[in-house]
Amino acid sequence: MGLLAAIGRVFISFLAATGRLAVFAGISVSHIVRPPFYPRLLLRQIIEIGYYSLPVVGLTAVFTGMVLALQSYTGFARFNAESAVATVVVLSITRELAPVLAGLMVAGRIGAAMAAEIGTMRVTEQIDALSTLSTNPYKYLVAPRLLAGFVMLPCCVLVADIIGVFGGYLISVHKLGFNPSVYIKNTWQFLEVMDVLSGLVKAAVFGFLIALMGCYHGYYSKGGAQGVGSATTNAVVSASILILAFNYLITEAFFAQ
Amino acid sequence: MSEAAVKIAIRGLSKSFGANHVLTELDLDIRDGESLVIIGASGTGKSVLLKNIVGILTPDSGSIKIAGEEVVGVTGNSRDRINRKLGMLFQGAALFDSLPLWENAAFGLMSSHRMGRDEARKKAIDFLKQVGLSEADANRYPSDISAGAQKRVGLARAIATEPEILFFDEPTTGIDPVMGDIIDSLIVSCVRNLGATALTITHDMESARRIGDRVAMIYEGKIVWVGDVAEIDDSGNAFIHQFIHGSVEGPMASLIAANASV
Ligand SMILES: Nc1ncnc2c1ncn2[C@@H]1O[C@H](COP(=O)(O)OP(=O)(O)OP(=O)(O)O)[C@@H](O)[C@H]1O
Ligand SMILES: [Mg+2]
Repeated sequence: MGLLAAIGRVFISFLAATGRLAVFAGISVSHIVRPPFYPRLLLRQIIEIGYYSLPVVGLTAVFTGMVLALQSYTGFARFNAESAVATVVVLSITRELAPVLAGLMVAGRIGAAMAAEIGTMRVTEQIDALSTLSTNPYKYLVAPRLLAGFVMLPCCVLVADIIGVFGGYLISVHKLGFNPSVYIKNTWQFLEVMDVLSGLVKAAVFGFLIALMGCYHGYYSKGGAQGVGSATTNAVVSASILILAFNYLITEAFFAQ
Repeated sequence: MSEAAVKIAIRGLSKSFGANHVLTELDLDIRDGESLVIIGASGTGKSVLLKNIVGILTPDSGSIKIAGEEVVGVTGNSRDRINRKLGMLFQGAALFDSLPLWENAAFGLMSSHRMGRDEARKKAIDFLKQVGLSEADANRYPSDISAGAQKRVGLARAIATEPEILFFDEPTTGIDPVMGDIIDSLIVSCVRNLGATALTITHDMESARRIGDRVAMIYEGKIVWVGDVAEIDDSGNAFIHQFIHGSVEGPMASLIAANASV
């Protein structure tokens, strides 16, 4: 009986949290489309999420591309299919690895920063001060971040696609002895628009989720420094898990077609 | 007192946090154009009262009317419209730490009054000067200045839009006596010159006498005394007597005992 009650309590609090998150997301999205807009704040977030994430995302992509070339070569060499390396590298990068790895890296960078900033604003009553100045905190704080995440992560991932493929090219040509022009031809040959596009759709969803988790956990943080600290942790962990879960869902949706 | 002369009418206001009953059936009238000072021991719910009036907290029950209009439960655009008439200084200043000082002071001008950045900046710098900061300080950030200076920027932010009703949560706490005197005169001149209604929380009885027309004392979730500032010395009220003399003996002994046990 005690066990059942405990399970019930956990289940109900899970439902309550999901509902609260859904309401939070709904309100925030409604503020993205309704004026007044804050172009200055949006630009700041675009630079923060897009531009400043590039080094991290680029490094992740280049090493991943390099490893991918080596690993797939090891496998394909066993049945004399080395020529497939270029195709495997570009498909893995664009469809899967660039969006997921960039998403996870950006979740650590941006999700944490958002939760810490908004959480600090909550516990120091800055969010309360916003509303006394007739400024809606959803519109002022949350909407620009969600929009910037949604738009900028695909941009980062597009750059990561190029850098990742380039990493694979470097290893294949300089270490594995591929002919450069043949490698490039193989890269293009079997690549479809949908491969890149599905990766970018993933990235847009991940970018939205990262910003949503950062803002949500920051917005509802309480207590002092400790509350902000746990909001930051929760934002990164929940964004990472959601990225992996949504990665599966989106992959399956595209797979069916 | 006629109904028209009341700016804020609070009736039966209750607010609890779990088992902590902070405000219980509190009644208070704030007259149009007056400066009312609220005094009371630490933790008696003065800040909570202010936050209920400006809509940061929602009361459990009771009514708050601002200029005859019920504001409890009002949210969204209607709340923004009401809040445009209000200005608030937070106990902890609550400055936006990502914005320079001038933009903090100009925030209300740009958000609710739709003023352009250049004009708002000029006006904000005027207000910053009034609270004793220089033009050179305007581009600094809240984390670069002392707590007392932050409080003064918070004051500039509250009065910059020249609102009808001003709320000051301990405006002179943490501020030196000379600057405190300047702040007090600024509050008085806001009330006199703008015709604003002001509600100030303070622990400083000197300051209360300077800025208040009337004084209200809060204890155990209720207003236990309201009267003209001239009457506080011979109010005949045991709570007021104990508070202004800072005495351990008196009806608030229970509070002191409770605090001592924490
Ligand atoms: N958001 C909140 N959640 C839970 N309890 C709260 C909250 N805000 C205030 N309280 C409680 O309400 C009580 C009154 O707090 P309040 O800040 O109004 O005191 P105060 O009269 O302003 O004191 P001080 O003079 O020290 O500022 C305290 O016991 C406090 O713990
Ligand atoms: Mg207080």
